[in-house]
Amino acid sequence: MNYPVTRRQLLAAAGAIGTVALVGCGDDGSPQDQALAGNRVGAMDNFGVGTQFKATEALNFSILILSNPAYPYNKDWPFFKEVTTRTNVSFTPTVVPLSDYNQKRSVMVSSGNAPFIIPKTYHPDEEQYVAGGAILAVSDYMDLMPNFKDKVAKWNLQGDLDGLRAEDGKFYLLPGIHEDVWVDYSLAMRTDILQKLNLTVPQTWDELHTVLKAMKAAYPNQFPFSDRWSTPPNPGANNLLANISQAYGTYAGWDWQGTHWDEATGKFVFSGAMDQYKQMVQYLNTLVSEKLIDPESFTQPDDAAQQKFARGRSFVISTNAQSLVNDYRKDIASIPGATVVKIPRLMGPQGAVKAGSRLENGVMISSKARESKNFVAMMQFIDWLWYSDAGQLFAKWGLEGQTYTGKVEDGSFKLASDVKWAGLNPTAPKSLQVDYGFYNGVFAYGGSTKLLNSQFSEEEQEFQQAMAGRRTLPVPPPHPLSADEREQASLWETALHDHVNQQTLAFILGRRPLSEWDAYVTELKGKNMDTYVDMINRAYERFKSKR
Amino acid sequence: MVAVDLRRPDRPTGRPRGIRPSRGYRVFQVVNAVILTGVVVVTLYPFVNILARSFSQTEFIRSGQVNLWPKGFNLTTYGRVMSDPMFWTNYRNTVVYTVVATAIAMVLTTCYAYVLSKKHLRGRPLLVGIAVFTLFFNGGLIPNYVLVSSLGLRNTIWAIVLPNAINVFNLLVMKAFFESLPAELEEAAAVDGLGTYGILLRIVLPLSKAVIATMILFYAVTFWNSWFSAFLYMDRLELFPATVYLRNLIAGATAGTDQTAASDFGLQVAANIQAVTIVLTMLPIMLVYPFIQRYFVSGVLLGAVKG
Repeated sequence: MNYPVTRRQLLAAAGAIGTVALVGCGDDGSPQDQALAGNRVGAMDNFGVGTQFKATEALNFSILILSNPAYPYNKDWPFFKEVTTRTNVSFTPTVVPLSDYNQKRSVMVSSGNAPFIIPKTYHPDEEQYVAGGAILAVSDYMDLMPNFKDKVAKWNLQGDLDGLRAEDGKFYLLPGIHEDVWVDYSLAMRTDILQKLNLTVPQTWDELHTVLKAMKAAYPNQFPFSDRWSTPPNPGANNLLANISQAYGTYAGWDWQGTHWDEATGKFVFSGAMDQYKQMVQYLNTLVSEKLIDPESFTQPDDAAQQKFARGRSFVISTNAQSLVNDYRKDIASIPGATVVKIPRLMGPQGAVKAGSRLENGVMISSKARESKNFVAMMQFIDWLWYSDAGQLFAKWGLEGQTYTGKVEDGSFKLASDVKWAGLNPTAPKSLQVDYGFYNGVFAYGGSTKLLNSQFSEEEQEFQQAMAGRRTLPVPPPHPLSADEREQASLWETALHDHVNQQTLAFILGRRPLSEWDAYVTELKGKNMDTYVDMINRAYERFKSKR
Repeated sequence: MVAVDLRRPDRPTGRPRGIRPSRGYRVFQVVNAVILTGVVVVTLYPFVNILARSFSQTEFIRSGQVNLWPKGFNLTTYGRVMSDPMFWTNYRNTVVYTVVATAIAMVLTTCYAYVLSKKHLRGRPLLVGIAVFTLFFNGGLIPNYVLVSSLGLRNTIWAIVLPNAINVFNLLVMKAFFESLPAELEEAAAVDGLGTYGILLRIVLPLSKAVIATMILFYAVTFWNSWFSAFLYMDRLELFPATVYLRNLIAGATAGTDQTAASDFGLQVAANIQAVTIVLTMLPIMLVYPFIQRYFVSGVLLGAVKG
């Protein structure tokens, strides 16, 4: 009995039920202090950066908890016990299986039954609840969150944060924040083949072309590159397209966004019609026509691509740190002498850059929480657990001396020898996640680059080092749409995106000659490309003038 | 389900002497047997394949080497799933929810259908209309959730067994069956002194084993496989049925987006976890089939004798 719920149904229902109206507050301090006078029970008076939060009386907050099957929720986790010891806070959880978390969240929020704390929300999922008023505009309460404010300032995250803002200029989600862009996905390559053919690891997409040609010359009967991650609706080989589009300075595959910010003209342009997009498609078309990349790369299921790699029928495939170790290495173990590494992201015309969001999934707050007499204490608690250095370290690695030793800052961090996590201490008897409840996706994410690096194997640290040297591109400026505009825009976007996907594939696979590019752009215009881009540009101007 | 007995014509004793099957009939028999064997192979193959996968090592599954027989015999996933006490808790829930829900559904559906089958009942069209109305319209997800919440049913078995107690399709099938029973039987019973309930319990129901068995099976399978209402109305892991547990397991094994979710286990067994899941959920229901099968046959015979 699966009832599909549309966003509109949710909004309508939420509106009809008449959930609590949003209580707005001024941005400056003193009126807010007055407004919050009745909500300070349990709160600390002198809470600030570096302060250990401890509620002045025992408090209990309702929370939505995602239960991950790899480490199912357990109320007896030392994590919860320690949270209570340190902060005097305990939880009343609603436990939801990972499989359908979003749906349950939607139902609970829309029916007015949501817990106060709603973690694991990915932007822009929160937008659907804004109009109903069930979610708190957290940007109004930044003064209650010194650690969050501090990190946003220190890591220069204001631009990223602006991307979350709704048309009213507020944001409704407390995102996980990273100090730097975390690059994980790239290409995996058979290094034994490289050695055998006297090749070096390529650094640019042009060098990859040369390497693939050499591989093809040595193994003429197979495609040296056969890729995966072709789940619809994107055109296929979505990681490959994401990587290469970044190198060329546009969006495609997983990274697809309808509009691309053009610094030179100060306007947004349509990604799928950019010259850079054409160059990227041209490059891939060359690989296909020279039979260097398997044309099935764009359509085959992951298993098929992995099988080809496992059997030595291909030498290059998309990867992340986990797939490399857990899948590919194990898969090729039966091929004598075979070795595989994850190579640093290939570079293109854009040079040594990386792009991406430094924000992650985050926490929504139910509007009802604002009415609670413990509201201030709750915001302080969230600020400590999710955004303070101490809270992040605790949620991730647990207890010093028990689950880990050393310091993250000076690189002396070490997981305790009887505790395992992912690839670390694989034979240890206890699991950091299953037995202790730390490194739980609900509570632990984001943080400083040093904290992030503490989780990597040496091999992965090398990859991270290579990526760390690259310049991080700024995020596009905010251009929030109103609810009506969003609906209209998503209609246009869907039609445009479908067409871009189809034609991208046709161009790459040579089913349509690239000489027809101009005709393709005209087709996009026929699908309201210009009106759509105008709307985004207007929204950008509107938001700029408001601030 | 297929009531044709293929062996019979080949047995000399089973065929009346003197009537030899025509050539055409023999050809038909052969073609029939070939086609049906084909159907059996096509239906059985996926099951056997799933079974083989559930016992195989991930590497072999991914390289496409597992066909009808397990390769790299491996019980890790079975072990992991079955050694988890939560799995058994949830499995017990499945059994309890299925039994209770089926019982309630049977009582309510039978009563409603029996009443509707009586043509002299006043307001019958209205009662049928009320039932059929729900086939086309329902309150929707959130109103249902609000309703169940405000009735205080969340986190109780009633949230699962009550809202779906009457399936209108089943109701109409049962109503049609009761209508087809000869009214004379009930009249005779009434003459002999049975009241309404006596007629239902002692005359109608014993004659309706076929439809009752079918309905029990329909309901039991539906409730056994259902996960949505449990997922929606239960807020604690120990209240979920096994379907939610296994669904979550599959989701965890295939989800690539949550970086912290990618634990060693999740990726290690991703390839055969689905197979194990299917085997574990399918098995009990499959074991029930043979026992219910004979009622289907008797149902067919009942139709044949009548008239």
